[in-house]
Amino acid sequence: MNQKKNKPSRIAMMIFNWYCHPDFREEIEGDLLERFNIYSLKYGYTKANRLFIKEVISLFRPSIVGNIYHLTNTGTMEITNQNKRLITILATALAILLIPLIAMIFTNDVSWKIFDFLVAGVLLIGTGLTLEFILRKIKTLRYRILLGILLFVLLFLIWVELAVGVFGTPFAGS
Amino acid sequence: MSQKALGEFEEIVILIVAILNGDAYSVGIITEIEERLNRNVSLGAIQTVLKRLEKKGLLKSEFGDATNERGGKRKRLYEVTAAGQKILDQTRVQRNSLWEAIPRLSFNLH
Repeated sequence: MNQKKNKPSRIAMMIFNWYCHPDFREEIEGDLLERFNIYSLKYGYTKANRLFIKEVISLFRPSIVGNIYHLTNTGTMEITNQNKRLITILATALAILLIPLIAMIFTNDVSWKIFDFLVAGVLLIGTGLTLEFILRKIKTLRYRILLGILLFVLLFLIWVELAVGVFGTPFAGS
Repeated sequence: MSQKALGEFEEIVILIVAILNGDAYSVGIITEIEERLNRNVSLGAIQTVLKRLEKKGLLKSEFGDATNERGGKRKRLYEVTAAGQKILDQTRVQRNSLWEAIPRLSFNLH
């Protein structure tokens, strides 16, 4: 409890660390903590924390933020971008599943049952999640491309086997 | 503000940096301004002016020591450069010449 009372708002500090230019981060973070300690002794924790948040807000200005490109290079933004990519991958998988569904409305040549949609869904979303896993864990471009191609070849082979049965496995389609 | 002229707050900050003589850092400057001029200054305002004056070449800075009360973070200590000293001297001369130009009668008008 005492340890918590010695520290200012973590959220405000995270926001400051996000927007502050890396060149100024150390000195200004130290200034903020020193000011917080002065305020704590003078006014107590609650008011000190309120004044700390006010200072974090007042520091949000061009001279402190500097070049905005550093804002996209932080860990926070990387996580946001990764989540955006995951949503895009999953949305693409669902969009592909919609193709046979829409085709069934216009033609009798396409006739998928619920089980077919289920299997295709598992296959597409599984591929999407594996792709996202590869992109998150593998940082080398060469290996990313290699594993990506391998994944799509595997998806293609399984899809073909389920649809028309090229290899004659027990789950081959006809 | 051009490099030839100082704003009122810029002038105060350079003067305080000169007074603190090598120990000038943002929190210390704020404390000094509050004590000497009875004026409240935010950390954002002081940091902005310090960065601007450093960019103009009127101040120079280097990292100082880290202390526990600063969470182990180092201070940035500021010093007045030769250009800063020159502009302070010019400002003082200009102010003095303006004061000296005021006719004595001006103070006894009412």
